[in-house]
Amino acid sequence: MAPHDLRRSFKRPAISDQERRRQQSLLRQSQNRRDAQHHARFLASTAFSLPSQTPELEPSFSQPEHI
Amino acid sequence: VAGIELPHKQWPELIGSLLSNLPQLPAHAKQATLETLGYICEEVSPDVVDQDHVNKILTAVVQGMSSTEENDVRLAAIQALYNALGFAEANFSNDTERDYIMRIVCESTLSPDVKIRRAAFECLVAISSTYYEKLAPYIQDIFNITAKAVKEDEEPVALQAIEFWSSICDEEIDILEEYEGDFSGESDVPCFYFIKQALSFLVPMLLETLLKQEEDQDQDEGAWNIAMAGGTCLGLVARTVGDDIVPLVMPFIEENISKPDWRQREAATYAFGSILEGPSPDKLVPLVNMALNFMLTALVKDPNNHVKDTTAWTLGRMFEFLHGSAMDAPIINQANCQQIITVLLQSMKDVPNVAEKACGALYFLAQGFEDAGSASSPLTPYFEDIVQSLLAVTHREDVVESRLRTSAYEALNEVVRCSNDETAPFVVQLAPVIMVELHQTLENQVAADERQSELQGLLCGCLQVFIQKLGSSEQTKYHLMQYADHIMSLFLRVFASRSAAAHEEAMLAIGALAYATGSDFAKYMTEFYKFLESGLQNFEDYQVCAITVGVVGDVCRALEDKILPYCDGIMTQLLKDLSSNQLHRSVKPPIFSCFGDIALAIGENFEKYLLYAMPMLQGAAELSANTAGADDDMLDYTNSLRNGVLEAYSGIFQGFKGSPKTQLLLPYAPHVLQFLDSLYTEKDMDDAVTKTAIGVLGDLADTLGGNAGPLIQQSVSSKEFLKECLSSDDHLVKESAEWAKLAISRAISF
Repeated sequence: MAPHDLRRSFKRPAISDQERRRQQSLLRQSQNRRDAQHHARFLASTAFSLPSQTPELEPSFSQPEHI
Repeated sequence: VAGIELPHKQWPELIGSLLSNLPQLPAHAKQATLETLGYICEEVSPDVVDQDHVNKILTAVVQGMSSTEENDVRLAAIQALYNALGFAEANFSNDTERDYIMRIVCESTLSPDVKIRRAAFECLVAISSTYYEKLAPYIQDIFNITAKAVKEDEEPVALQAIEFWSSICDEEIDILEEYEGDFSGESDVPCFYFIKQALSFLVPMLLETLLKQEEDQDQDEGAWNIAMAGGTCLGLVARTVGDDIVPLVMPFIEENISKPDWRQREAATYAFGSILEGPSPDKLVPLVNMALNFMLTALVKDPNNHVKDTTAWTLGRMFEFLHGSAMDAPIINQANCQQIITVLLQSMKDVPNVAEKACGALYFLAQGFEDAGSASSPLTPYFEDIVQSLLAVTHREDVVESRLRTSAYEALNEVVRCSNDETAPFVVQLAPVIMVELHQTLENQVAADERQSELQGLLCGCLQVFIQKLGSSEQTKYHLMQYADHIMSLFLRVFASRSAAAHEEAMLAIGALAYATGSDFAKYMTEFYKFLESGLQNFEDYQVCAITVGVVGDVCRALEDKILPYCDGIMTQLLKDLSSNQLHRSVKPPIFSCFGDIALAIGENFEKYLLYAMPMLQGAAELSANTAGADDDMLDYTNSLRNGVLEAYSGIFQGFKGSPKTQLLLPYAPHVLQFLDSLYTEKDMDDAVTKTAIGVLGDLADTLGGNAGPLIQQSVSSKEFLKECLSSDDHLVKESAEWAKLAISRAISF
């Protein structure tokens, strides 16, 4: 049971620029998701289908036990 | 072994047998027993040890701490108590037992043995955060013993004594923030205003510590001493009490700021810098206006590097907290701006630690002008000089040994972020300069060279900022598109390094590039896909995985149905991620949101994933519906999980809208509605979840139409929940509710 390190951040900004960039990316992504949703909601309900080009998915997946 | 067995109710006799004849044991066996108890308490969770055993452990520990015991036994006992504190909630709620524990801990702070004194203060620190609300009867005595330790004791003990007050500040800052955030002015724990009450004694004690600096402490990354701890605590005290600290600190600053001894000048400057966050601008701006010129002169002329370091840091704090468009009284104007920039640029040529702080100050100077609007920033005339100076810093020979390089690139990022129409041409020219720098590091790639990877990370970060800036206006976006192929090829080469941090930065930048380039990003997918896949497989560096999940969303929105050829691989990996117990749980909610992004991009082609994705979503929805007994952290996580699941449903319903295959979703509708109803019944959704949940109701109604009409009408969500959301104060909740109302009315009248 070694003594616990009690050093605090010294003469450093509360968040680094890297952390800021990460947060800004998350913010942009959630805004873009919201915009895409909004766009989809107010798009006229026109039916169109996209051609299926990809092979079937094979794996079988377990239930989400570890979420 | 106990850590494994106790949670399974095995080895129930362990604690009893450890304690059975403790008082009769020789000292070394007592010590070993107490150490074992300490390790057990450190290892197992409080809920697996019953109260009877907790009582026995605490009794043994407190007896072991008695002054009649040998020092080694006392030390083992007090270290065990530190680990047992989390178990002692019931005992701390009992006045007699708490008084006894507190008395014995406080007595131990007076032990002749330095290790025991230190461990006793360490316990007080832990008690201050775990049982803040129980401290009132003891705070006066604790002040006296901490003051004595700070003044007279050896450094390891004094540091813990200061930490006690820093920890009380942390608690009170949290409580007061909760008061402010909650209109009822309530908090789970009341604030006892210990700091405010102790202020007139505490502040002089901390100011004294500032004079105990070590030579060259600024050059040593690992340094931590009493002056540093004291100043940090002073900063926390300022944040706790606000204006009240100013009159207590100003006389110290005035008395010491011009003294011949560098320690006095540095301590005065550090005190000033420390109190710049907390008090109101009304109180601080007049003082900063008086001090600014003095500080600028000191930064250039003071003969001592330590003073210059603290002066540059203090200038940075002035700009961070008191400069910006939100301030009524600007501290920077046309008249002093030139002098400030001249001084900062000159300081960037100083020794690395001073130059690093000057870059930091420039960062906050630029940040204050970030929302100044186009073409009106006072920085505009100096833009080119600033950029050149920062680039020169990154090329200094001594830049690698310190944080200076990071600081210079961070400042460059902020300067680029606050560029405007007038300075945009410089940014356009600067982008290839950074690309060349990145190219050079890749040409000399040594996979295991940490410093090189760090530089690559910084350069990718820088390019991310360029991409965002140049991509944000049509005029400059044209130039960005000219560079896009080259930039992308550089990012892909960064993945050859082994550094997770560099991968993370490259991935973030690629996400920004996908957003900026839109459907043109498709041409990079063949090459990029393998890195996207390995990012999703990176369980170990889960932040890389999390960022990659976000980038999948960016790519989906950029490519829309052109993402289809890659979806089997991406979905396979995302489903594996969800099933893994190795991946950090924080990545899982964004993966669900990502399902929504994919579904929205590929529409009815999501059909083949429904069979796999829907059970996952249902499982997570059921897990997150019930929050009984969850603490705040768990509730936050549960809400983020709910949000992810709901965003997935939203994307899937909207993706299938208008398709002949919408009937495939009908079997899932009862569960989705049930989930929404259960969320409404639980009453613990945050606003983001409420907004997404009511939006999903609309999406379901919109896509399934009349087929789901009767189901929708049976749900509580379509009645009470919708009604509540329609009258919400949050405009986003209200907007989603109006959408749901419209979609439901269409579905029902179908």
